[in-house]
Amino acid sequence: MSLTAKEFADPSVLLEVQNLNKKFCQDIRHNMLYGIGDIGRSVVGYKADYARLRAKEFWALKNINFQLREGEILGVVGANGSGKTSLMRLVGNIYPVESGTIYARPGIKVTSVFALHSGMQQLYTGRENVFLKGALYGMSREQIQEKLDFIINFSELGDRIDNPLGNYSSGMRARLAYAIALATDPDIFLLDEALAVGDSVFKTKCFENLKSWVKMPGRGVLFVSNNVRKILKVANRTLVMEKGEIIHDSTDISEALQFYIINCLKDLDEASRQRKLQKVMDYDF
Amino acid sequence: MVRDKPKTQWFLVWQMVRVSLTVQFKKSFLGLTWLFLAPIFAIIVWVVLHGAGVITPGETSIPYPAYVLISMSIWGFFADAYFNMSNVLSNNARILLTTSCPVQVLIIERVIVQLIRFSIPMVFNIIVLLVFGVDLHLLGVLFPLVIIPLLVFGIAIGLVVSLFRIVAIDLAKIMDQAIHFLMFLTPIIYAPKLDIPWIGSIVKYNPLTYLIGVPRDVLTIGGSDQWSGFFWCSLISGLFLGLSYFIFSQNEKKTLERLINN
Repeated sequence: MSLTAKEFADPSVLLEVQNLNKKFCQDIRHNMLYGIGDIGRSVVGYKADYARLRAKEFWALKNINFQLREGEILGVVGANGSGKTSLMRLVGNIYPVESGTIYARPGIKVTSVFALHSGMQQLYTGRENVFLKGALYGMSREQIQEKLDFIINFSELGDRIDNPLGNYSSGMRARLAYAIALATDPDIFLLDEALAVGDSVFKTKCFENLKSWVKMPGRGVLFVSNNVRKILKVANRTLVMEKGEIIHDSTDISEALQFYIINCLKDLDEASRQRKLQKVMDYDF
Repeated sequence: MVRDKPKTQWFLVWQMVRVSLTVQFKKSFLGLTWLFLAPIFAIIVWVVLHGAGVITPGETSIPYPAYVLISMSIWGFFADAYFNMSNVLSNNARILLTTSCPVQVLIIERVIVQLIRFSIPMVFNIIVLLVFGVDLHLLGVLFPLVIIPLLVFGIAIGLVVSLFRIVAIDLAKIMDQAIHFLMFLTPIIYAPKLDIPWIGSIVKYNPLTYLIGVPRDVLTIGGSDQWSGFFWCSLISGLFLGLSYFIFSQNEKKTLERLINN
């Protein structure tokens, strides 16, 4: 398990990431060789020094530290390859934590949504997929039965819940998948670009739901997106990542996003930067 | 989400088994009938080959087509165990990298699906053989027990190869070919007692000779003269599975993160 249970001195803290590092290899053949080597080492019980980068390796995450508190929708932004998804996969127990620690309040439930439709079957009906996806989220049959009406109502599918998923529009699929994720009733929600699909009305409904949901005691959201407008609308704190590091942490969302965009344009000269910045602001804010 | 109850794990296993068994037949009119059609084709092929005198095997305890039919089914059971397990990470990479589905659930699901896929045609084969007048022994009811070590052996090799399939593809491909080749070094389409000395030696030291031969003998003649070899091979298979699962569980997540394009 990647999460280490911990009673925090500050009772508002749900999750704490300390000195988290993750390295990957940028070359396929080296990647394979290191993989074989790691398996060999594990057989003989030898643990390599994680702090040392081997040839062609790079830090996908470097010395990451932050806390997630109750009531927070913590938006994580960063350019492609900045380490957002790696961070989420570590917190979501997909990748093993090999360097650093992720502490969580004891008994906390985490629901990770990395790909809304992952595991769902096109040839199964919406209803069958509710049970399948619910089971993938760790729900029992009884829990799913209990939440079935909520899922059908929230997804606004009505009678179409008994149609094959393959016949749904992308928006309908997103509505169903998001409703199932919501029905898991977690303490922490990890959303990785999960709300990139669906129509505007449904997206608005999801955001409103997320904002009211997080106000309940013991709830928090870690929300990764490259969409500045979404972060602006939904987050109440923002982390900006670059090359595997957190370079900005602010509760002033607008300021943090401006910092992010300016940082993305830092290699341009002043005039070009101002021009691009204005375009992004006009488009995204 | 925290999976604190085995009940939720088993519910997920059941859901995954259901998908594996039914999704490929959702658009098929014949549906699960395909599970019965495959052995019928196998019977036809071997009866025709035997009738044409194409194959001249050694001495077998039961009519040759029956011998081959049962042997091939048992071999298929081993090969499926190997191929299912050796693909458990690569075939489920998306689910494993985007959901909190534990890989152990997928391993159990694969085993259950394999047992179902094996037992339906196997029962069907036995009925067909009885109808054609082949005598099977009453002690054949012990068959499900004596076939377990073969399953264990297949899973043990497959789990290690599943790691190789991600980080050492050449090794995994070599293993796949070796498994195919192994069929010809195992008494499947010929009798265990051969006149060619060097093949006889290979057959003698091939664990599958015993792990496949004893279940076949138990089913057909109610006993075997290979119990000693079977016992040792079963013991080694059990130990191998323990070691293999240890290596797999230590490396599964670390290996999975090396998947490119996920």
